[in-house]
Amino acid sequence: MKLHHGAVRVVAGIAVPLLLLGAWSLTAREGWLPDQILPAPGVVRATLKEFIASGELLDATLISLERVAKGFAAGAVTGLAFGAAIGLSPRLNRLFGPTFLGLAQVPLLAWMPVMILLVGIDEGLKVILIGIASFIPVVLNVAQGFRDVPPALREVGAVLLFDPWSMLTQIVLPAAVPSVFTGLREGLANAWQTVIAVELFASSEGLGYLMSWGRQLFQLDLVLAVVVVLGVIGFALNWGLARVEGRLGRWQVRPA
Amino acid sequence: MPALQIAGVDRTFHVAGKLVPALRDISLSLRDGEFVAIVGASGCGKSTLLRLILGLDRPDKGEVRIDGQPVRGPGLDRGIVFQEHRLLPWLTAETNVAAALRRSDLPAAQRRQRVAEYLDLVGLTAFAKAWPAQLSGGMAQRVAIARALVNRPRFLLLDEPLGALDALTRLRLQAELARIVRHGGTTALLVTHDVDEAVFLADRLVVMQPHPGRISDVLTVDPAARRDRSSSAFLRVRDKVLGMLGVETEAVRVGNYETAA
Amino acid sequence: MKRFSPLLVPLAALAIWEAVSRLTHVSHELLPPPEKVAARLWDGFANGGMAGDLAASLLREFAGFVIGAASGVALGLLLGLSRAASRLIGPLFLGYRQVALFAWVPLLSMWFGGGEQGKIAFIALAAMAPAAVNTWRGTSALPHSYIELSRVLMFRPLDYVRFVALPGALPAILTGLRSSLIAAWLATVGAELFLDVAPGLGGRMNEGRETFQMDLVLASVVLLGLLGLTFSRLAVAAEKTLLKRRAT
Repeated sequence: MKLHHGAVRVVAGIAVPLLLLGAWSLTAREGWLPDQILPAPGVVRATLKEFIASGELLDATLISLERVAKGFAAGAVTGLAFGAAIGLSPRLNRLFGPTFLGLAQVPLLAWMPVMILLVGIDEGLKVILIGIASFIPVVLNVAQGFRDVPPALREVGAVLLFDPWSMLTQIVLPAAVPSVFTGLREGLANAWQTVIAVELFASSEGLGYLMSWGRQLFQLDLVLAVVVVLGVIGFALNWGLARVEGRLGRWQVRPA
Repeated sequence: MPALQIAGVDRTFHVAGKLVPALRDISLSLRDGEFVAIVGASGCGKSTLLRLILGLDRPDKGEVRIDGQPVRGPGLDRGIVFQEHRLLPWLTAETNVAAALRRSDLPAAQRRQRVAEYLDLVGLTAFAKAWPAQLSGGMAQRVAIARALVNRPRFLLLDEPLGALDALTRLRLQAELARIVRHGGTTALLVTHDVDEAVFLADRLVVMQPHPGRISDVLTVDPAARRDRSSSAFLRVRDKVLGMLGVETEAVRVGNYETAA
Repeated sequence: MKRFSPLLVPLAALAIWEAVSRLTHVSHELLPPPEKVAARLWDGFANGGMAGDLAASLLREFAGFVIGAASGVALGLLLGLSRAASRLIGPLFLGYRQVALFAWVPLLSMWFGGGEQGKIAFIALAAMAPAAVNTWRGTSALPHSYIELSRVLMFRPLDYVRFVALPGALPAILTGLRSSLIAAWLATVGAELFLDVAPGLGGRMNEGRETFQMDLVLASVVLLGLLGLTFSRLAVAAEKTLLKRRAT
């Protein structure tokens, strides 16, 4: 019964993508659209194979991932510290909160020209921009999580005569875990978005660069091949984080 | 022919891969204008039975019939008050009641009049424009009663309607419910685990036992016994039903009534 | 004192900025003093055509937002209300969400060109996803009891949408629209930086970068930030007004 149900879901879920793929093949075979607009699926697959075999795709992926790792690490660590500080201390929040919120309203890409003038277009630019991109959601969510610890739980700590350290480790931190994770997840998603944007604009390596190169050469097959890779990586990142989150937040009852 | 007839109904659920019988061989008939209460511990399938009558669920065996016709789905001839008021929080008291008239044939002017009439019946005319969040639990439940009645249904189904209210509000609303139901001459079926409430409101009591849900006893309440909650006649019926549900009261154990029940 | 404490940090930062740009040897090209940026902003509006750039960017953003948000809400409603739709196109949509937004820039610029159409298509795409996700979540998270109630009251499908689904999901839809507005603003800047040169704040920034005019770049940043702030404020105010009557 249950298996049957699951099978129906899977079949329904891949029906439309398969249909689109079929329409795409048909369009290509009948030559309804020029290759520069929509190359055939077979061509995209061949390009994907070719770039995998030559190692270019792997290189580009590793470069992009390394930039994400560096930028996200920098943004997440500073974001955790700053978010915890303004979340725990009302005074620090009054001082820094409004300024932070104001600066967070600037669309991230607007910092790119500023940073290019300041630091050039080398690795530093990418790490800084990806760092800012992950910093903002981490701070927002961490501060929120620390501020929103239910007062009833704090009262429990007070009744049990917890010292500040126990209060932090036993009550505040565990209660803030879900928000911290939301922040990290959003931060990583932003970092991933940003690396592509920055590489499209100012880079000579990486997946984003590969796409912009493909566009300049009117090789849409390459662009589409990278889109496929990006989808796979995005999915893997999400899945990995969801697993980690599941382990740390086991006490939370999740809606099915 | 009975107005509402439940004939040999079985209902079984799949819970975590196991078959759990919720109702077993339930048969019960209601006459027009009657007030029947079903009492039983939680898990005896009372609410499942109401869902079957509403047409929200189908029996595995047997039938629910109205005037001899099997129930196929919900209909405006059956109104329901749930335990939680289930008012839509984004509609006012008035528009919540009016929402029940979406499928009615009444012209607009009469609809407005009908809504006003039923808000008046539950004593909430002054709160017609209030949002559910501004109403107390008792008031919200009264709006829900007005919503259930505004179509003038033939049957009023009450699924522990006062179960979520505080004790004082509950007593007050019990009296009001008695008045409202008698006023319209509606046939009412109340599901409750409050034996006092059942004895106070109903002409007939149906006692259900759990695992699987089945009817163990049906008894008629003498209208005279209902009139005074502290009369020995009232207490005797109540204690008898409590005994059937496995709650022995002191009075039953020592036989401390002037006459046997 | 407490009332002014939010101003302390920005004022201190301005003072440090001023001091560094005046007292050290950092070139004014790289770090123009604050008043120079302010003057540039003023001058830009008075006789530099910045108002025109601003209007062009806003118009673009608005067009993309309206198209994207409307189709996003419609898609979200479809996914949330129809089980068949969520089974059929839900996985496809979730798959689409895994691809980084900016990856669509090269594709869209090939399909729609790098001009106005391509830009608006990209902004619309950016605005679509948050609106769709939140609307989907909001409509499918409605309590089952409301669905049961609608059946008992014999609501027709349209009654259900009008009386239950839309108002019930409204908070989630508004959250989605707010995210859409912010995403559209980011996409506007991105489209203006990446695609063909056209009037707009992003183009103005690019020009400032290429000609090494930091004051122009920073003036644009200030303007973009102020507009972002305005958008958030407006969206929050709109949400408050629309949801006000539900509060106790």
